[in-house]
Amino acid sequence: MDTIEVLKQFITEVIGEEFVEDMDINMNSSFTKDLEMDSIEIVSFSEKIKAHYGDQIDFTGWLSNMDLDQLINLNLGMIVNYIDDARN
Amino acid sequence: MPVIEVNNRGVHIQELNRGAVETVLLVHGMFSNLSVYYFNIAPILAKDFHVVMYDLKSHGLSERIAGGYDLEHMTNDLLGLMNELELGAVHLGGYSFGGLIALKMASRFPDRVKKLAVIEAPDPNDDKTRDIIDDYSREFLEHYVTNFTDTTRVKMGKRQMERNHRMYEYLFHETSIKSDMLAERDFFSSPEPDSIDRQTLLLYGAESNCLNAGKLLKRKIKGAELLEVTGDHNIPIQKPVIIGEALEKFFKHG
Repeated sequence: MDTIEVLKQFITEVIGEEFVEDMDINMNSSFTKDLEMDSIEIVSFSEKIKAHYGDQIDFTGWLSNMDLDQLINLNLGMIVNYIDDARN
Repeated sequence: MPVIEVNNRGVHIQELNRGAVETVLLVHGMFSNLSVYYFNIAPILAKDFHVVMYDLKSHGLSERIAGGYDLEHMTNDLLGLMNELELGAVHLGGYSFGGLIALKMASRFPDRVKKLAVIEAPDPNDDKTRDIIDDYSREFLEHYVTNFTDTTRVKMGKRQMERNHRMYEYLFHETSIKSDMLAERDFFSSPEPDSIDRQTLLLYGAESNCLNAGKLLKRKIKGAELLEVTGDHNIPIQKPVIIGEALEKFFKHG
């Protein structure tokens, strides 16, 4: 499965199918502005990524290098690119 | 999403670097959740320590509970969590209301606390602290979020606002949080803060309206160090790297 499809599934699990139905989730979707995910939802999403990819990626380390503005502006494409780069 | 049973209720926890010898346990503030530490501060500490974060009752992803928001119950909850995780003594850090919990913990159970870090704990007797508890309304939340936005640049969307509003509504109208917190108004003038004998770091924003509480605690806790950081009450969000590194240095070297 493509990385973006894996991440879309995680987003659906975190915020609920009823909210995702009305959303166009794509590479440009930002977590706070477009998906309206709050901080604890982003924690849950991050934990799903860590559990799924395990030691293949250092997701915690990657996130911890971001300042608040970068976290707020984080979009799905940035995470997809990070995961794909880290695994190749 | 690890939710563990502590005293027959679900508590959401997150851990980093479980293999480390020493543990840092972090307590968030009222109306917040463990994410205040998760993204920046905890990873800095996890370079050297096992880090445990948890959501307080009815906050974040922890189970909703109607009562027991006074500092005695909140520290009972924390002790229960430590016992469940088989943690002996930990380095303890708390932010805002979590800072009050950390202070109470160091006073009640000094053997379970190695070093104590208090970030922006307010004086419960301060009018501003009490006003927030007294005057909650939807307008308050919107005002709070507007002001919060100014300092953190986080803007809530409609769904986020609704979620937060539901949490505030629950906490203010269906739990004892208001009366429990008002009952703690004499905590700083009680003998408990003076009795703390753990090495203590107080971290406060230089522009924070809680800074006087930090100065008061410095006078009360023998040997406590007060570090002023540029920012206001939101310093863990505004300056997470500075806060994380200050905590790391303190817990590592003292």
